[in-house]
Parts: sequence; structure tokens; C-alpha cells
Amino acid sequence: MIRVGSRALPAAILAMLMISPVAAADGPAFIPEPPGLWAGPMVSDTPATLKGARVIDIQGLEVLMPQKPLLIDVGAADRKPDGLPSSTIWKPTHRSIPGAVWFPGAGSADLPDEKVDALLRRIAELTNGDKSAPVVTFCRPKCWGSWNIGKRLVQAGYSSVHWLPAGVSGWQERNDTTAVTPETGWAPKPPAASAGTFVNGEPTASDQVSSGD
Amino acid sequence: MKLLRDLITAALIAAAYPAAVSAGVSAIDGSEPERQARWQEISAHIFGDRPIEAGGDLITIEAPTRAQDPALVPITVKVLRKDEVRAVHLVIDDNPSPYAAKISFGPAGDPSEIKLRVRVNDYTNVHAVAETSDGKLYQTRIFVKASGGCTAPIGVSDAEALKDVGRMKMKFGDRDHPKEATLMIRHPNFSGMQMNQVTRLHTSARYLDRIRVSYGEKTVFELTGDISLSSDPVIGFTYAQSEQGDFTVHARDTKGASWEQSFAVPARMNE
Repeated sequence: MIRVGSRALPAAILAMLMISPVAAADGPAFIPEPPGLWAGPMVSDTPATLKGARVIDIQGLEVLMPQKPLLIDVGAADRKPDGLPSSTIWKPTHRSIPGAVWFPGAGSADLPDEKVDALLRRIAELTNGDKSAPVVTFCRPKCWGSWNIGKRLVQAGYSSVHWLPAGVSGWQERNDTTAVTPETGWAPKPPAASAGTFVNGEPTASDQVSSGD
Repeated sequence: MKLLRDLITAALIAAAYPAAVSAGVSAIDGSEPERQARWQEISAHIFGDRPIEAGGDLITIEAPTRAQDPALVPITVKVLRKDEVRAVHLVIDDNPSPYAAKISFGPAGDPSEIKLRVRVNDYTNVHAVAETSDGKLYQTRIFVKASGGCTAPIGVSDAEALKDVGRMKMKFGDRDHPKEATLMIRHPNFSGMQMNQVTRLHTSARYLDRIRVSYGEKTVFELTGDISLSSDPVIGFTYAQSEQGDFTVHARDTKGASWEQSFAVPARMNE
């Protein structure tokens, strides 16, 4: 039996009332796993789990590295902006975990079927058709893309899927990165042909273009 | 015995965390061959085949090793022998558009100290290059840990970000810093890489590409900007004190909009 003094009780109720909204705003909110692929904002808080896969941190990856896992980076490629003057030097580089294969945008939930097929074929090739081979999916923190591709691989029957939520950001705290080029077929789309115009300093609809990923 | 035990412990840790141990001996500091190769590539694009010498005794660069906000990384460049330098170039090696700024100094200019705020897209070397009056180039660099600065959403709607665009403020140094001033210009400096998370649309690049500051009839400096400069640019600079008249700032962006504003130098006591 817990005894609560007459003065403590209102305080306790008040504390309980205060804790929940504060926790929701400041603390790491509980994000449930979606039943399938996540189609919401791709850069946002992710769940702590991925059913059928192991969630690993950087130390976990460092321990796994001697097994030479297939490292799958789905980080977005820098998209050449609309409206850049032609004199601008545009030289994007994408640094990743050494040895990684890079499929920019492959974590999207709405990939066309043929893209999904090509992706799974390529991953089968890279793992020599061994679905028990260790694979690691990542991009950057708060990246649903790496969660999604991990989910896709679990659904495709891979039994040793590791999801690295810390991504390359966590890796480069202690380790160097290396520039990688996209896998064939996964280069970013060029920008739309026309740059938008401004009316009275306000952007018009044509100033915004659809995202490539 | 203790030594043996320590050795065994160390070996076990090394076996379990090989990368952690090796990182302990060789922390990443920007001197890695691949990063040097990147600098060679980028600098060749900007400066052609002009030689660039190490210039630590002529130019220095300061930045936080780990930036709190990758879209707002403060950079301070100091020129130690100001009379020899006519321009300063700022290059953020691993940014997709690496040539962040060129600042050319005019007759009323003083390159002793320049402060800028920049976007850093990934862990990178940031180079400052001094160009001397006789056309020679001298570089220095610092390794900055920040990522995502070019793509970080502005956080407000485009229309809101463009409210009062072009409005300027100038803050002059106090009696102890009579040759210093800070220019603030309201402008979102859209990088073209910022995506609205809800609509998943990118806003076109629109940034200040030319800022000229003059004092009386003479130019203090002219800055050529790029998408790497942070929104609402804040530029700290030094100037030659001997001039007369007002400061005039002329700013232009890549959509062709331009703004001009004048500022009177405050009268100081004991002058």
C-alpha cells in the first residue's frame, strides 16, 4: 500500500499531467513500426526496432566488419539545384563507409516494381545469392530510407539484416569515409529544364520542382 | 604480471573493436590522401594551374571543430600582412558547390579579419586562400565536423523566408574596435537543395551572389557568394578608417533582385 500525504497527492497528479506532454515534446518519442514500408516524411524520427532485423550501433558494426557484410547506403544524392548560374562549380561528392555500395533513393516506399526487382537482383548478385549473408543498411540518422530497405530485404527472405540507424554520421565520428559513386541506374535525376520565376518577390508554383527521390 | 594482463586486455579489445583502436591512433583530421586529392581537384577548377603555397604565416582560418548547426557554421579568416593581400577565397571542399565566397578588397578595404557564416554539407576541409597583389596564392585549412548544412530545411515557408528580403543592418565597432563593422542582410539564400518535408518539393536556388560595400567613393570589398553562404548573411569585416562619407551596401541576388542601403558611420568620442 502506498501512502500519499494530502499535500503530496495533488503534486503527484500535477506532475503526472505535466510529464506526458513534456516527454512527448522533448524526449525521444515512441515511434511504432509501420506494418509495411514507411511512406511518410523520409527524414524524421524512426522506430527503435525493425522486425526480422538486428538494430546495430557503430560498435556493433565494427564487430561485424571482419565478416565483410554487404554495406548498403541509401542516402540521397545531392541533386543539382534549379536556378544555379552556369558558372557555379557543381561537384557533389558522397562519402560513405569504405566498401559500401550506394543506391541513392532506394529507401523510398514508392519505388516502381522494376526498380525493386533491379535492386533485389543486384543485392543477390553482391551476396552471391546467399540470403544468410550479413547485410547492413544505413544512410544518416532519422533516415526512414535505411529502415525501408532493411524491411524490403527481410521481406525478401534475407536472414541476417542489420540496420544501422546512426549511419555514416555515426561511423565518421571514429573512422574515415571514402567517396562512392552510385550503383548503375541510381544516379540522381537532372533538374527540370526551366528555372522558376518570381512575381513580386514571391516564388511562383514553377519555382518548386518535384523531388527526385 | 600486470603488464602481461594489460597486454592481453588490450589485445582482446583490439580484436573486438579493431576500428575503434585504429581510430584512436589516427584521428581523422583532413590530411588523408583522399581529402588532399579532393582539394587538388577543386582548387584546379577554381585557380587553374596556378601554384598554391602553404600560407600559414599570411592567412589563418578559425571554425568550430564540431559545428552546432551545420547550416550556420561561423568562419573567421585573418590576414596577417594585410597590405600584401588583394583577395581572399573561401572553399568548402566537400560541399557540392565548394567555392563558397571570393572577397576582393578595394582601396578602402582591410583584409585583416573577415567573418562569415556558412553551410557545411559533410565533414570537410575548409580552405582559405589569400591572393596577393602580385597574383600569388597562399592557402590554409581547417577540418570541420558538420553535416547536412546545404539541405537543412529553412523551417518556414518560402514566402515567410522572403519577407523583408534585402533589408540590411550595419553595426559599427565601438571605440575599442573602430575599424570593424558587421553587415547583416535579410535573405534566405535558398541553396536549391532544401526540400519541404511535407510537399517534398525543392525550392529553387536563390542567393546573394554579389555584395559590394563602399565607404565614401571607395570600395571596401566586393563579395561573390554562393549557395554555401548561410541564410540571412552576417559578414564581419575591417576597413580603412581614413575615408570620409557614408557606407553604401549594394547587394544583388541570382534572380536579379537588388538592394542598396547607406549607413552613416557613428561619430565617436575622442576622435
